Amino acid sequence: MQPAASPAALDPCNRCSSPVEHGDLRCAVCGLTTPVVESRTSAEKIEFLRCDGCGAAVSYDVKAQAPKCSFCDSVMHVESPEDPAEEAGAYLPFQIDSQAATEGMRAWLGTLGFFRPKDLQTSATVGELKPLWWVGWVFDAEVLVSWAADSEVGSRRSRWAPHAGQQHVHFQRILVPASRGLSLDECTAISGGYQLATQGPPPQPQPGTLIERFDVQRSAARKAIADTLTRAATAQAKDWVPGSRMRKLKVAVLPKRLSSDRLGFPAYVLAYRYHGKLYRAVVNGQDASLVVGNAPYSIGRIAAVIGLIAAIIAIILLLSTR
Amino acid sequence: MSAISEFSCESCGSLVQVEAHLRTAACPYCASPAVIERPLEAGRPAPLFVLGFVVPHERALAEARRWIRRRWFVPEALRKAKVESIRGIYVPSYLFSAAADASYTAQIGENYTETYTTTNSKGQTVTRTRTRTEWRSLSGRYAAYVSDIVVTASRGISNHELEGVEPFDLRALHRYTPRLLSGWIAEEASLPAEQCRELAVSESMTEIQRRVAAHLPGDKQRNLQVQAHLNDIEQELLLVPVYVLPVRYGDDEVVRILVNGQTAKVHSKLPRSWTKITVIIILVVILAAIGGYLATRS
Repeated sequence: MQPAASPAALDPCNRCSSPVEHGDLRCAVCGLTTPVVESRTSAEKIEFLRCDGCGAAVSYDVKAQAPKCSFCDSVMHVESPEDPAEEAGAYLPFQIDSQAATEGMRAWLGTLGFFRPKDLQTSATVGELKPLWWVGWVFDAEVLVSWAADSEVGSRRSRWAPHAGQQHVHFQRILVPASRGLSLDECTAISGGYQLATQGPPPQPQPGTLIERFDVQRSAARKAIADTLTRAATAQAKDWVPGSRMRKLKVAVLPKRLSSDRLGFPAYVLAYRYHGKLYRAVVNGQDASLVVGNAPYSIGRIAAVIGLIAAIIAIILLLSTR
Repeated sequence: MSAISEFSCESCGSLVQVEAHLRTAACPYCASPAVIERPLEAGRPAPLFVLGFVVPHERALAEARRWIRRRWFVPEALRKAKVESIRGIYVPSYLFSAAADASYTAQIGENYTETYTTTNSKGQTVTRTRTRTEWRSLSGRYAAYVSDIVVTASRGISNHELEGVEPFDLRALHRYTPRLLSGWIAEEASLPAEQCRELAVSESMTEIQRRVAAHLPGDKQRNLQVQAHLNDIEQELLLVPVYVLPVRYGDDEVVRILVNGQTAKVHSKLPRSWTKITVIIILVVILAAIGGYLATRS
């Protein structure tokens, strides 16, 4: 076996300045080869490859996809791109307790609008409350975004005219959820209030507290981040297309200094009952005003509004016929 | 650079000769595999990466046999020829990447619907709609990384042939080590690096043209002109796994079939049987004539 890679920080990529991680043979962002220690021979050298164990000849074996001893079946190590499972590097602490989370959830129930039951806020009974750390990546990148789209500005006989442009954007602290327990919409809804500067070491496991782990490998993580970067650039480019209507918006990105952190985010998951039915809400563990979840609708109120609209239409029709 | 290297086999002491264009050898008496590490010379760079073989010999052979039997327009002697000899070769190639900065101009077609009046078959005036295209000029810039371009560095296998068995899965890249070549044939880079770079630049330009065409809005496009500059160019020598199968048929004619050692994708430029093609054309003409005759009679 070769010795393990040094944990010392590696120099960033020479082309795009993005950080390079141990085990990378090429930059994951732009494809540039990572530096290698030169060990060129000055004279012709013949290498007979021998098994470290028994000394027999070693050949590359297709089934093992590695050099293998033909005598004792020992497989030899070769340097390949490493694709380890992702692990959170830091965690944000809880800054509200369970009581504040419950109050935040009740306050949220009162903000859901007219079509919810009138007594939802007072009659909902909170059942289980579970603190958890969900995981995700936060990335920064300087990106040159090339965009092209159709909009109504400059249109003549057709409703559309083509436009194109190029802009530099500095994306900062863009969150990419990787939670299994919470949905993407839930993570996105509560992600605004996290104070990223408060990150610290991994929390001690406690009964009843769930600490999620990334269940993806580095290559999948990079793909998720690249996809999010393109989506963020597309969302940003919508502001650059002139006019109020657009279609066929396309973007191409050239990222530089793309760096990411793997973090654990605190949240409370609350189950509550209303008239015997179970509903769920998720509260940001640092800001109780950020809540997302599902809630019942008031059939009576919806029916009353529909009836009122029908009555108004009927009156208008009656008056118009008279 | 001498044409042939000689060394004594470490196992049996026999004298083994290695041709200058090869990187590996096997003792003819005891089959001990050896890898030759030569000093760097102009025009002979050292490999940095290797893609190992994944497909075993037997499967590559079976895929090649199946592929050639499905080629209906090749000479029958070739379809029935025995495909037995197979050699796994690490073919030298360059892995090329760059940052592309392009400017483009194009005509973008935006469709619209217009109504018009016409006379129908009964002589009545009717109003109809039709889709027309309004052409507008668009110019813009496009910037992106171009990576994963692989071009041949071997005089033995042309870039067109290598493209025929691409793509290779670059996620399985290994840092070069002689261990990966042991027991297999590995060729030294034989094409000049500058020539390979031109090939890679040409492939990159084609790729950028394709991407810009997909980037454009509108319903149609024409007259796309792309001016691209490649910056921060890098090319590193990569050994890719390819099986080579020479097939003999007829009057001692030979064709060469290549099989991707990672994906088993098969490629070859096969001769056509003009007899078969002529027979098919005649059959089609006869069937068309019969069909026309029956149609006129009915």
